[in-house]
Amino acid sequence: MAGILAPGLGVLAHLERLETQVSRSRKQSEELQSVQAQEGALGTKIHKLRRLRDELRAAVRHRRASVKACIANVEPNQTVEINEQEALEEKLGNVKAILQAYHFTGLSGKLTSRGVCVCINTAFEGNLLDSYFVDLVIQKPLRIHHHSVPVFIPLEEIAAKYLQTNIQHFLFSLCEYLNAYSGRKYQADRLQSDFAALLTGPLQRNPLCNLLSFTYKLDPGGQSFPFCARLLYKDLTATLPTDVTVTCQGVEALSTSWEEQRASHETLFCTKPLHQVFASFARKGEKLDMSLVS
Amino acid sequence: MDETVAEFIKRTILKIPMNELTTILKAWDFLSENQLQTVNFRQRKESVVQHLIHLCEEKRASLSDAALLDIIYMQFHQHQKVWDVFQMNKGPGEDVDLFDMKQFKNSFKKILQRALKNVTVSFRETEENAVWIRIAWGTQYTKPNQYKPTYVVYYSQTPYAFMSSSMLRRNTPLLGQALTVASKHHQIVKMDLRSRYLDSLKAIVFKQYNQTFETHNSTTPLQERSLGLDINMDSRIIHENIVEKERVQRITQETFGDYPQPQLEFAQYKLETKFKSGLNGSILAEREEPLRCLIKFSSPHLLEALKSLAPAALFCRIQKLLCYSGSHIQGTQDLSSWQKDLYLLFVPLYPRC
Repeated sequence: MAGILAPGLGVLAHLERLETQVSRSRKQSEELQSVQAQEGALGTKIHKLRRLRDELRAAVRHRRASVKACIANVEPNQTVEINEQEALEEKLGNVKAILQAYHFTGLSGKLTSRGVCVCINTAFEGNLLDSYFVDLVIQKPLRIHHHSVPVFIPLEEIAAKYLQTNIQHFLFSLCEYLNAYSGRKYQADRLQSDFAALLTGPLQRNPLCNLLSFTYKLDPGGQSFPFCARLLYKDLTATLPTDVTVTCQGVEALSTSWEEQRASHETLFCTKPLHQVFASFARKGEKLDMSLVS
Repeated sequence: MDETVAEFIKRTILKIPMNELTTILKAWDFLSENQLQTVNFRQRKESVVQHLIHLCEEKRASLSDAALLDIIYMQFHQHQKVWDVFQMNKGPGEDVDLFDMKQFKNSFKKILQRALKNVTVSFRETEENAVWIRIAWGTQYTKPNQYKPTYVVYYSQTPYAFMSSSMLRRNTPLLGQALTVASKHHQIVKMDLRSRYLDSLKAIVFKQYNQTFETHNSTTPLQERSLGLDINMDSRIIHENIVEKERVQRITQETFGDYPQPQLEFAQYKLETKFKSGLNGSILAEREEPLRCLIKFSSPHLLEALKSLAPAALFCRIQKLLCYSGSHIQGTQDLSSWQKDLYLLFVPLYPRC
């Protein structure tokens, strides 16, 4: 009897089993299909991306090439710029040189933040000597900020007279004093350095070089008496003395030849710069030597 | 050689430090090279001094030689004395100064010797057109005291002389007179400047404290040069404060410059100030008489101290240094422009309209 029911049950179970099997396999095949579909989709995506990558790479290469070409075109322009820069530097150098050359005019200046710094370059007989500066502040009243003028030059007097009313006059007057002082100093220095052999004692001088006193001999080592000279420069704007006294040391009454020499020396010192007078003494001395030899 | 002279030389040499001894002896130029070579300077000082005295005796050193050595010692040790500054005036319309050193020395000595029989006067000329004068004072009846001399440094053809402050104040008028007459001036006035540092006094009085000038030759423009003031720039300072601090730095640099300041210790100004009244009127402006006051400054280094006021934010005071317009003050003395600058620094401290 159980066998008759059981086979019915068995058949149903079997059918059930078969059903599940079918549905499983159906699922599997569906899954497989979807996976395959996915694979396919990814595959196409990969292809797309690869294509995109290759396109971009090509584009980058193209850009680089074109930029290089651009640079190659631009370089000739850059060299033009460099040439312009050199030209400007040369111009700047020229202008600076011209500004420096103004020193040779004797009076030059440079604007400062508060006024002007005036430079006075002194000269004597074509020799460029010391420079002096006056730094002016442009305000009312015009004033001197600082300067390098020596203390014995009457700067404050000149400023009191002219600075406020006529600055040109002030500068020219100061130039006169400084150039004259430089010239006198130059003569005294030259005498001390070049003609020490003719001097029999030290040169007496004062800061302004406006009183010079010295003793000299025309023939050093010779038998003649030395002369004493005293040069006074009462005009501070002049490089030649205003008063000259030449005496002969140790001789009460001079013979006529000595007297003539003494007087001629006085005239020489009044009319010619000091070192030139001594240069002529030295030349005469040489002539005398030559005559002795021959 | 007189015993007093020997003692004087001995005491002078004892004052000289060993490392300066040979330099000073060479400058003195009294003992010859040969004589100096016989001295062993490595001995103890007393032995060296004894040997030197012996050499001086051999050469018969006189009082004037000894005085010269004293001057040279003082020239090397200027800061041991306090120096006053005197200014002389010429009368109006006087002749050009034809300074003759010989005449000056003779005249100066004569004037002192005529007034005081007992006085030692010695001179030493220097390279910078200055003459050092040493005066040892005595009285009608006593010999000059060589240990308390007065020194005068006179710059010929300028109105200025520097005198060492002396305890014997009664001789100062005579000294002033001798200097004035011998240098052909009219009168002499003591300036209100005093310092141990002669170089600084010279720099102020001769206005030689700043010898840098702008020219077209200079490669670095003044503005770009690094400023001497060292302000610590705090990184938290915002822009406006930086601008202000830079302005202070620039103006301080313009006023004081890059160079070392003359070492001034004491300055004093006598002022007469008349005040101008604004709309409100003021008690000070209504006065008939000007306000008289005396301002004294003292410091171990006065100008550096003033320079350091800038970063200490007293900037508005420094600014007045440059402000000349709007000055209604008349001074009693002829202040030099540098001194005027210092004076105007402190004017804003007084109430003004």
